[in-house]
Amino acid sequence: MSLELLIIVAFGGAFLTYFLGKISSKLRNSFAVLNALALVVIIACLYGQTMEKSFYFGFFSLPLILRNNVLSWFFAIAISVLGALSVIFSLSYMRNRERTDFYYLMMLLVNAAMLGIVFSGDLISFFIFWEIMSWSTCILISYNRGPALAAGMKYIIMSIIGSMAMLVGMLSLYTTYGTLNIATLSTLVASSSHGYLLFLLIIFGITFGIKNAVMPLHTWLPDAYAEAPSPFTAVLSGMLTRMGIYGFLLIMYVIVGAGATLHLGHGFFTFNNILAWLGAITIVIPTFIAMLQNDAKKLLAWHGIGQGGYMILGIAFGTSLGMAGGIFHTLNHAIYISLLFMSVAAIQYRTGGVRDLNSLGGLIKKMPIAFIGGLLGICGLIGIPLTNGFVSKWLIYKTLILNGAPFLAFAALIGTWGTILSVYKFLHNIFLGQLPEKYKNIQKSPFSMRLPIIVLSFAILLFGILPGIPLKVINAIDVSLGFKSLNVTLWGIASDSGTLNTINIFAVVLVFGVIIWLLFKAGRKAPKVDQYDNYAAGAAIPKGKYHYTVDYYNPFYRMATPYLKDFVDVFYMKIAKWTQNLCNTVRRIYTGYVGNYVMYIVLFMAFLILIQLKWSVF
Amino acid sequence: MQIWGIILSPLLALVVGIFFLGLSRKIMARIHWRYGPPITQPVIDIIKLFSQKSISHGTIFDLGLILSLAGSFVVILFLPLGQMCPLSSGGLLAILYLMLLAPLGIALSSGEAANPNSSIGISRKFLLALGYEVPLLFILLAVMTHYNTISLVEIVRIQSTTGWSFGSLPLLLSGIAYFLILPAILGIRPFEIAGAGQEISSGANAEFGGKFLAFSTIQHALHEFIGISLFVNLFLGGWSLFGILEPITNTVWGVILGIIVFLIKMLIVFILGLFINAVFPRFRIEQAIKYLWKWPTLFAFIGLIVVVLVK
Amino acid sequence: MNELGLLSNGVNPVLLIVVPLALAFAVPLIGFISKKIIKYIPVLAFLFNLIIAILLIPKVLHQPIIVKIGGFQPPFGINLYVGTVGILFSTLIALAGFLVSIYALNYIKEGPKEKYHILYLLLLTGATGVVLTGDIFNLFVFFEILCISSYALVAYFGNRAGIESSIKYLIQGSVGSSLLLIGIGLLYGQFGTLNMADIANQIQSASSPSIFVPMVLMITGLGVEAAIFPLNAWLPDAHSSAPSSISAILSGIAIEVGLYAVIRVLFTIFGASNFLMFFVFLGVLTLLIGEMSAFSQKNIKRMLAYSSIGQIGLIVFAVSLNTQYGVSAGLFQMISHTLGKGLLFLAAGYMIYRTASMDISSFEGIGKKMPYTSLAFTIGTFSLIGLPPFIGFPSKFMIIKAALAKEGILFTVLVGLVLLGTVIEGAYFFRVVQVIYFKKGNGNQERKEAPITGLIPMFIFALLIIFIGIYPNFIIKILNSAASELLNKIDYIRSVLG
Repeated sequence: MSLELLIIVAFGGAFLTYFLGKISSKLRNSFAVLNALALVVIIACLYGQTMEKSFYFGFFSLPLILRNNVLSWFFAIAISVLGALSVIFSLSYMRNRERTDFYYLMMLLVNAAMLGIVFSGDLISFFIFWEIMSWSTCILISYNRGPALAAGMKYIIMSIIGSMAMLVGMLSLYTTYGTLNIATLSTLVASSSHGYLLFLLIIFGITFGIKNAVMPLHTWLPDAYAEAPSPFTAVLSGMLTRMGIYGFLLIMYVIVGAGATLHLGHGFFTFNNILAWLGAITIVIPTFIAMLQNDAKKLLAWHGIGQGGYMILGIAFGTSLGMAGGIFHTLNHAIYISLLFMSVAAIQYRTGGVRDLNSLGGLIKKMPIAFIGGLLGICGLIGIPLTNGFVSKWLIYKTLILNGAPFLAFAALIGTWGTILSVYKFLHNIFLGQLPEKYKNIQKSPFSMRLPIIVLSFAILLFGILPGIPLKVINAIDVSLGFKSLNVTLWGIASDSGTLNTINIFAVVLVFGVIIWLLFKAGRKAPKVDQYDNYAAGAAIPKGKYHYTVDYYNPFYRMATPYLKDFVDVFYMKIAKWTQNLCNTVRRIYTGYVGNYVMYIVLFMAFLILIQLKWSVF
Repeated sequence: MQIWGIILSPLLALVVGIFFLGLSRKIMARIHWRYGPPITQPVIDIIKLFSQKSISHGTIFDLGLILSLAGSFVVILFLPLGQMCPLSSGGLLAILYLMLLAPLGIALSSGEAANPNSSIGISRKFLLALGYEVPLLFILLAVMTHYNTISLVEIVRIQSTTGWSFGSLPLLLSGIAYFLILPAILGIRPFEIAGAGQEISSGANAEFGGKFLAFSTIQHALHEFIGISLFVNLFLGGWSLFGILEPITNTVWGVILGIIVFLIKMLIVFILGLFINAVFPRFRIEQAIKYLWKWPTLFAFIGLIVVVLVK
Repeated sequence: MNELGLLSNGVNPVLLIVVPLALAFAVPLIGFISKKIIKYIPVLAFLFNLIIAILLIPKVLHQPIIVKIGGFQPPFGINLYVGTVGILFSTLIALAGFLVSIYALNYIKEGPKEKYHILYLLLLTGATGVVLTGDIFNLFVFFEILCISSYALVAYFGNRAGIESSIKYLIQGSVGSSLLLIGIGLLYGQFGTLNMADIANQIQSASSPSIFVPMVLMITGLGVEAAIFPLNAWLPDAHSSAPSSISAILSGIAIEVGLYAVIRVLFTIFGASNFLMFFVFLGVLTLLIGEMSAFSQKNIKRMLAYSSIGQIGLIVFAVSLNTQYGVSAGLFQMISHTLGKGLLFLAAGYMIYRTASMDISSFEGIGKKMPYTSLAFTIGTFSLIGLPPFIGFPSKFMIIKAALAKEGILFTVLVGLVLLGTVIEGAYFFRVVQVIYFKKGNGNQERKEAPITGLIPMFIFALLIIFIGIYPNFIIKILNSAASELLNKIDYIRSVLG
């Protein structure tokens, strides 16, 4: 299996899907799924192979290089699996919607572009794939019309700013070293001056910081996540945003190299430290803002920002433990956040697009699989032991504490508690409590939705109980980036300073669970009762209203609402407004009065003469 | 040794926890100039509840409660009980996260009950947790940073050689802060907000009857045990007693004496907490958060800074 | 390739000018025979030109062709200088002219059609003449042909806006032309020759103040047509009120030919490399002002017109870097602008035709009604923003690289400003794309595409945009050779004067 085949299948499949859709929608659907699965298979076959192949591409005699190493493989497999699952999920979600051909084309195109990004062995193809990803994402975000347009606009403006930064960084590398091959660059760049390295890290940091929504570059994310079609939100939140993490790994530890990156700056103000603090801010503020959200997707979106902060914290420290934590968290996050978005999507599908947390409730009885997805998803998000999120968070915390960064660790830990509050509200308001009368007759989600939810739920538990499976690969990444190897076993990490062993946690939870369950069974059997058979101090139970969801954490809201605003967004919006006014002012140069125009011509000449008289340039 | 620990420590915790429940009612009654129920009253209650009729609101209603009780027992396995420490992997961080299982289970269970009282109770419970977690995390980080380990067993072991954390100057402020938030962790007055009987029908417990209430009571007892034992382990040196037990470590007698010393320490802390419980009225939730985020947080924060500076 | 070479041996570049010119005058005569076939004349003329130009490329790459009109040796008599730059531009002109004339077959349905075709032929003849001529007065003449026919074409619809902007254009254009003429007169007075190579040769030994005045006059005069800020005030009006086919030519060809003239004068005749730093700033300023003015436009054609100003700024910036790479980048950007803006105006033309409004908001939901046209428009916008895999990306890539290759913090800052312009550009173009595809249109949702004669040119433009976007090496050799022709004044002089 070769990489060029992979890229051809990915891009060709996307366009073929579109044209097949013109023939028959059934054919298109099955082909889209097949294509996505084929990519998974091809990538799975590439496991463990290291290859690099350059293609002459006619782009200014810059070769297009595709390469596979353990880092790209890791990201690629996550991208392709997630892509396949969300295509499967789309089958019923997108049924009977308009322009489905176009939707599938864009979905597969984004997927292909992401694969291209991780497999590119040079920066020019990286950039090309990156841009294809950016604009197709913008189009998909705007897909739902209405408020989605503003979200798409915000996204694309920030994304273009990011790309332009990358263009500058990339071309500066090109002019300095005359090559854009990542492998060659990584041997050349490390010996540059500190100032130049810092410039590189900052300029690429802007690009990847925007993509990964690191504060204060995060403002595109909440709207984009909320407004994009939900199956795509799963991809967007799961892997697409995390291309930023891949980018950070690439620039920090591949191109510049760990040795050079970790020694930039003085005292507190080293690059890594600043990045870590930005990561910490990214955890805390968005997580608390998430508590105030009443829109299910927006709530998750703010967590998406917050979780990105954990990854940044993990990789910023540049120890093998932290790197493992950061990379593992990227994977885990992809699993649970896309699971959560899929659960929300299933709910939206059945309730007719409702995602307002104040008008749902009790859906556990109607959509149990979606509930399981939601429950395991939030457990992963919180980092409850035996779910995958725990292991990666544990690695990150441990790194922070042992590296003498207790305040960063505090930020990371308190983020977890903020998370519990908001995600419990999420789960409670959708699935628990009283089922409104209007949802009495809704069906459980269709099979094509349940399947991805089940697969992802399973993955959460699997990686939570046997974290060694992905950690083996991650450890190989660590080693390939020049870090010490970790002592990874199938069920955790052994080290001198405290080991983690998930299998014995699993065993004791299981044993006690069974014992208590037996005790529970031994007690007198409790008959199941209706939701209206409830304690109400003797009063009659009001139908559909005996439900506490609105303002779930009311006392806290009263205290914190004034402080928990996205001030950065407000500021950017102001800048946008100013720019608009400025543009309007500039436009007035063209007054529409021809006398003025002739005067401009004369002035121009006068100005040229003035320059000559003053400086005698000619 | 480990097998014994796994079997013994949950049982011990169960017994001690329930004993504390009975004791607290007795002591509270005495402070109020009443006679009070016998110390064994909670045991009687639990047995009685077990045989009573109850209703269930659904699968999660059952499983959530089971999860919460199982979660509490698991945490106990990870806490050193004297010298007995059945499990230690993951250290304090794992304990911190395992401690989430219990409230999450209760929250799921009473969430499915579809009773606003329960939901409000959970909302308050989580808010209160958010309140005390801020200082608690500072405290735990101070301890972990001071001893440069995340393992609780290690922390206890170091204390047995260098003296209690509470006595060491850098950690003094953190210890005080922990004591200040202990009532909030235990959920006793003035922080008896989540389970306020008179306002929201005992909050999360509103829909629990029969064996559900029995389980919930046991879980409550275990929770109190965990909260206090964590304090004793972190700040009062666990089993160590000014080096007296040092010569007989690792012998059977040493272990037994260690457990006894440990339990006595717990008892003292508990009774001190009860006095606060007896004389204070209940806070409102905002007042509680404001209090928790003011003095205890300040102490804990300065404590952490001191620890970082001393290092 | 050999056969092609043999073919091209017999081809005289003069045909590039003579054939369209002759056909332009033949149009009224042919009109006596049949009114219907008139509109096919430009198609044939520029197809012919395109073939000739392409056939000439290999030969010109090898060595520039000097055509001596009437057999006089330079510096006496008029000569054509068919170098790489010239052939590059004539190919571009012929290509755009060919595609747009196909477009016009159906698009120009009303008004004085006959005159349209005459003027159209004349406009492009003028443009070809400007890029090929080696004589400065001849350049002026062709330039006037270009300008005057475009004044008339802007007013083609005969409505108030058209006539008003045509007159504005005329006034500014005339001021420019007069200045140009004075400049040429001064040069002639000083050196006694009109041959560009000869002037260039003599200017090297002339005193600077005496040539400064003609330079300023000529640059200002040519700068009006080249739409350099602040000489470009005619452009938004003229481009927006002309028929879309003409807007495509004005934006894609006319201002670039003007820019060519400025570059030729600056580089070859005056060799004013000291002055170029000023043009670097001017380019950035033009870019920013163009993009910012485009940002708040509600009229699609005005937006595109302002965006042309921005693109011209970018080209000026790149060319003024005065490096081989920078000039190639500038020329590349010209090509990418011709293709991109040509496509945009053509697509916009039928979108306006369909909705009977130039308001962007009236394009809501047009993606459904005219899917191919909308797709073409989208490709054009993506290309202009500089997104891969479209042609705008390699050209922007080259420009930024050329600018970064100049050491110093100043150029990094300028690059930042240029990219800021790109961000603004991205914002307003994506807004239009969103309106086209993601706003629900009201009223008639019936699908009605542009006619096939409209779609074919759009398709070819789009194809070229993608093809060169993916395979820029296709033209890079010509660009490099053209850039060295512009930078090597000595070679130019030597090849003409011998």
